[in-house]
Amino acid sequence: MTKLYGLLTGLVMFLCQDLSAQTKEVTGKVVSAVDSSALADVTVKVKNSQINTVTDADGTFRLTVPANATTIVFSYVGFSEVELPISDLMSVSMNPGKGALNEVVVVGYGTASKRELTGSIAKVAGTEVANLPFQSFEAAIQGKAPGVVIESGSGKVGQAMKVRIRGTSSISASSQPLYVVDGLPVVSNSVSDGTNDPTNPLVDINPNDIESIEVLKDAAASAIYGARAANGVILITTKKGKLGKKTQIELNLSNTFSEPTRKRKFMDARQYLELVREAGTNDGKIDFAEGINGYPTEQEAIDDYVNSYEGYLSGNFALGTDYKNYEVNTDWQDQLYRKNATSQQVDLSATGGSDKTRFYVSGFYNKQDAIVINNTFTRYGGRLNLDHKATDKLTIGLNLALNRSQLDRISNDNAFSTPGQLVAQLPMSPLLDPATGELNGQTLYGNALFDAKYNSDEQVTFRSLGNAFADLKILPSLSFRSELGADVLNLYQESFSGKQTIDGAGIGRATAITTSSASLNTNNFFTFTPNINDNHKLTSIIGMSYLQNDTKQSTTQGEGYPTDAVKNLSGATDITFGTSTNNRYTFLSYFLRANYSFLDKYLLSVSARADGSSRFGENNRYGWFPAASLGWIISEENFLKNVGFLSYLKLRASYGLTGNAEIGQNNFLGLYGVSNYPGLPGFVPTQLPNDDLKWEKTAQFDAGIEFGFFKSRLTGEVDYYQKNTSDLLLNVNIPTSTGFASVLRNLGTMYNKGVELSLNSRNFDGEFKWSTSFNIAYNVNKVQDIDGQVITNGVQRAIEGEPIGVFFLQEFAGVDPANGDALYYDSTGKTTSNYSQAQRRAIGQSNPDFTGGFGNTFSYKGFDLNIFFTFVQGNKIFNQAGIYMESGLGNGFDNQTTRYLDRWKNPGDITDVPRTGFSFGTNDRSSSFWLHDGSYIRLRNATLGYTLPSKVSSLLKLSSARLYVSGNNLWTATKYEGDPEVNTATLGNITGGVDFYTIPQARTISLGLNVKF
Amino acid sequence: MNSLNKIFALILISMIGFGCNKKLDVKPQQNITPEQITNGDDVKAVLFGAYSLLQGPNAFGEQFFLASDLLANTNHVSFAGTFIDYRDLTRKTQISTNAIATGMWASSYSIINIANTVIEKANLVDEDERDAVVAEAKFIRGIVYFELVKYFGLPYSKGNVTSNLAVPLVTEPVYAYDASKHNPIRATVDAVYKQVVSDLNAAVADLPDLGPNFRAGKYSALAFLAKVYMNMLNYSGAATAANQVIDGDFSLNFNFFSAFNNANNTNEDIFAIQQTSQSNSGTTNNGINTFYAAYTLQPPLISGRGDVQASPNYPSIFQPTDARGDFFYNGANIAGVGGLYTGKWQQFYKAIPIIRLSDMFLIRGEANYRLAGAPIGGVSPLDDINTVRERAGASTLLIITSADAFVDERFREFGFEGDRLWTLKRTKKAVGTLAYDDPKLVLPIPQREMDVNKNLIQNFPY
Repeated sequence: MTKLYGLLTGLVMFLCQDLSAQTKEVTGKVVSAVDSSALADVTVKVKNSQINTVTDADGTFRLTVPANATTIVFSYVGFSEVELPISDLMSVSMNPGKGALNEVVVVGYGTASKRELTGSIAKVAGTEVANLPFQSFEAAIQGKAPGVVIESGSGKVGQAMKVRIRGTSSISASSQPLYVVDGLPVVSNSVSDGTNDPTNPLVDINPNDIESIEVLKDAAASAIYGARAANGVILITTKKGKLGKKTQIELNLSNTFSEPTRKRKFMDARQYLELVREAGTNDGKIDFAEGINGYPTEQEAIDDYVNSYEGYLSGNFALGTDYKNYEVNTDWQDQLYRKNATSQQVDLSATGGSDKTRFYVSGFYNKQDAIVINNTFTRYGGRLNLDHKATDKLTIGLNLALNRSQLDRISNDNAFSTPGQLVAQLPMSPLLDPATGELNGQTLYGNALFDAKYNSDEQVTFRSLGNAFADLKILPSLSFRSELGADVLNLYQESFSGKQTIDGAGIGRATAITTSSASLNTNNFFTFTPNINDNHKLTSIIGMSYLQNDTKQSTTQGEGYPTDAVKNLSGATDITFGTSTNNRYTFLSYFLRANYSFLDKYLLSVSARADGSSRFGENNRYGWFPAASLGWIISEENFLKNVGFLSYLKLRASYGLTGNAEIGQNNFLGLYGVSNYPGLPGFVPTQLPNDDLKWEKTAQFDAGIEFGFFKSRLTGEVDYYQKNTSDLLLNVNIPTSTGFASVLRNLGTMYNKGVELSLNSRNFDGEFKWSTSFNIAYNVNKVQDIDGQVITNGVQRAIEGEPIGVFFLQEFAGVDPANGDALYYDSTGKTTSNYSQAQRRAIGQSNPDFTGGFGNTFSYKGFDLNIFFTFVQGNKIFNQAGIYMESGLGNGFDNQTTRYLDRWKNPGDITDVPRTGFSFGTNDRSSSFWLHDGSYIRLRNATLGYTLPSKVSSLLKLSSARLYVSGNNLWTATKYEGDPEVNTATLGNITGGVDFYTIPQARTISLGLNVKF
Repeated sequence: MNSLNKIFALILISMIGFGCNKKLDVKPQQNITPEQITNGDDVKAVLFGAYSLLQGPNAFGEQFFLASDLLANTNHVSFAGTFIDYRDLTRKTQISTNAIATGMWASSYSIINIANTVIEKANLVDEDERDAVVAEAKFIRGIVYFELVKYFGLPYSKGNVTSNLAVPLVTEPVYAYDASKHNPIRATVDAVYKQVVSDLNAAVADLPDLGPNFRAGKYSALAFLAKVYMNMLNYSGAATAANQVIDGDFSLNFNFFSAFNNANNTNEDIFAIQQTSQSNSGTTNNGINTFYAAYTLQPPLISGRGDVQASPNYPSIFQPTDARGDFFYNGANIAGVGGLYTGKWQQFYKAIPIIRLSDMFLIRGEANYRLAGAPIGGVSPLDDINTVRERAGASTLLIITSADAFVDERFREFGFEGDRLWTLKRTKKAVGTLAYDDPKLVLPIPQREMDVNKNLIQNFPY
């Protein structure tokens, strides 16, 4: 430690040397090319030197430069960099930098010019996520950043989203990226009820507050976040005010209507009854042929079976209606969707600043009805971003957001009480009991409409995200920044199941959960930009960071309610469960980075981070994560300078190490848990120790080309990467004869490699503007070595030599034309109708090969049109509910999909859908019969807007007004019979692509108004 | 400038100072680490932890007796639910990944590891309590090995006990995994039975007659020993042990009904698992009551899934006056399949009888009958069987013509209590269409265990 201090002090001393030379003075003004407004805080810098200043509130600047300086560079976040020859009075106009190669991007602990970057960073501007009818900002960036795969999982609102940057890189630890908001790492994993689907704490960030989103993909970009960066890092920067700018008030209003994208097709009453009778016929024939019950004739056997099935169903569920003539034909699927799902969003913001202080303040209200009944998400809150130049050297500021959100939830997909499972009910079951006119309580399965009517599950979250900072310019070449932030999340959840419902079990049950998560984070770092000479440029940072999170949770359950009227726990006569837990984790980190450029064309960057965490034992408490990268701007070389069509060409390569520690707390310790046998409080061993547990490591190589043609009208980027993850944090199975099932060890290797391409072009630039963007990413994942283990989760596995989450299933081989039996391939490749002889094999992956997006933006006069498609290709979806809804009654009398209309009926029928049968069913066990191609292309969003002519808006005393209509998921092409964007196991590494009565995505249409005053 | 430098040097030092304190040392707050087990109370708490696992659904809270009743389901139980692993046991089509076999195996060894830990750490317990604590741990270890040997090995009655394989015998605690030590082979049926007998005898020697808080006592150990000896066809051992229990402070309840759905043990319970609304074997997807109680929305009854129904034929084995034949109700399961349900497990949060006194009468009677000498305990087999029959309201028998009288009586007395399979196996009677020693009546060694422990040999035909 003393060594480090000595080093730093030395560094500080070095800065104090006086640098003097012959100088001259330059002045000027910088304006936005869009509206000619003055731009404050633009960095004005002598090219190839560290001599710089920033513009004042009125856009003016004054800079003393060396006599021999020739060029000045102007840079500003969100705008393209401008280089101009020095003149005494400079007039500069800057363009917003969308897609431009020399725009400024946010990086870990700083900003950089895209041109000088040697890492792989995808940037999405805030304008691309604002005012779109998505649940949260991640959904809005789906398909926009190559290599970033985002899955919403279902059409429920407020749910967690699966985000994978360059593939899944862990098996037992989390593969979700790290999210950093204005420098503060935020809680992004669900802190909600563990028995329901995970929720998404990132919904507390209002998309309309976002200035930009940067995705750090390779090691060069992300290793500065060290131990938490192996899954990539997503930096979110919120909007700031502008110095000296007149206050601008902006109002957004929108109203959205939603409906399901794709419904399945189920049988109607006639088709279902025919199916049941046919099942009886088939079963009767089998019984007679095999002499099971000794019927004297086949017809008697058939009659007996048909009467028994039909009698059972009609006697129990037709409720006296004339089922034979299909008097009742209930479409139960209709019952699970809202008739009228609407959402409203209101945003009001103000931004501006004086010459020393700038601010951004906003407030919003948003209510979203899911397409499924009883699922609603409501949030409101505000943000204040403020900074103030206290002196020439010191700037202080605060970013603060406060939110309240409320999520009204439904059960998870695997509960009889979820509306999603209503599709199992029979079309002959009336919705209302004809005798009473009340909801029908005599259904095949408990009627989840009772749960919908009498249950409630309400989760309220208060979230404050705050970050205070001070920026001190010690010297022109040295500054120090200190940030202190807190992410405080309080969640209160009350759920109640009424006495008449499935979950209420006749007595009424309730649960109350409180969670309090408080993160404290501080970042302290020096930025050092010494002026060496014109040919050499160095930017470096060195600093530390400390993060501490305390999560406290308590759960109480009660039952025995006298009435449904009292829904909280005060109505319970018996408190059945109570617990409270406290968990803390800490990270202490030191980091440094140096970016060096020579002649503005040879770039070198090195970074390193040392991370210590409470999650590991003393043997391996600290991890070390270095990265290095090189860049070469070839277009600056003389031999390319004269190639007319080539405006920019850069090669870059990086290699580095990042880590993953997302394993929860205390995993290296031997542990005993507390047990509560009546009268005998005790301890139960729960975990074996592993003193040597350490970080999971990902070594990533990345090579990229960035290019611009035709005066940068066509720009693009190609990246190749290989991520090798080793020392996997793996729950390694051990013999349970030890008393334990697994130990968490660092074992195994896995890789992801792939190629990413993005292209942007400005096709027309005049009054009619047309630009096109396209990106595509290809990723291959392979589990290389997990010590020969087979890690199974449902029908999916991690096995060596296969991609993670490969479907491992019996392969369906068609239908025996002779008897309608389902056939499978056995170990010799022959077909068999004996399921126990069927061979399981790896039969497709849940993660796609290709993902990407394709968009066009047009504008003409006041009109603008934006059309954006996303696509995935190469993944499979397993309809896990198929064994109930699509198995020809083999697993119960559930209503069946219309796929079974093509079933085998008579000997000789050639079909790929087996016969129906209840007592002697076939096709009633998991197989590839329900595994489908999950590829799709989808019109993700289309927006048409009209901005009033400025003459009209100024008459209305507005600075601008825009009306728009916007739609999501308007069109989809897929072979999957349901919605292809479903995943019931939302966040799994091994599980994925599984549909289990999962709610499809919403198709939405929004009408909106955006007004600026 | 210099003063500023100093300020920042100080800031740096304080930043680095973060690392020198204990910020990275975070202790678990809802668990303890092994080093925190330091005294006799801690060791006893670990012992009590074993009761919690015994209560679990993978042990006496459900599967220890539900699995055997499903396997022996003929004219007894039927499975009406959607869970495929249970249905497979009923159909004898279980495969090596069967979750019930896997769960019972894993849970059993967790309990055994606790018992081994308690025995190893007994030196921390005060001397006056030490022997009893060790004896209680051995009792628990013994009864769990008894379940394992029955489920995973061929029956003792089949013979070849010194070559037929049962389960690994683990008698040392595991504190850290060591692959060279912790991949045991399967011990023989004989070796496991010897361990069970030795553990139970040690428990008989050092346990108090009755354990406090319904914990195991000497009589619990004797009662298990009687059952173990019956399986080993050691009838004199069985009769002697059963006789000692009968001579203890137990009595049959006046009503057959009142032996079930009680808050705690009754006088009839020699060993029972306790449940409360806060601590039970499960209420939604597992637990004995969840499976056996019908799906009902009739307060104050708590609804089960109703997946296990009584066969329609089962009540026909009772005389009209036999209360045991009336202990049924009609209902339906959660998927709407109607059927008949036993009253034994209708109510949630009640004590689960594991051994009732009537078992001891029937064991003593049957063992004495088979021994055919002067009855141990001085009570005739006829009187023993009639004691049980009279309480239920069945007619008294005048004569016993064969030992099958006891087999049949056990079926009437212990339906849905997990007895049938083991009685048929020890008496070499067919289980439906399968012979008593059919390999499909022995569970597979769990596939996940086969995958990790290469020293294990799988049961035929899995």
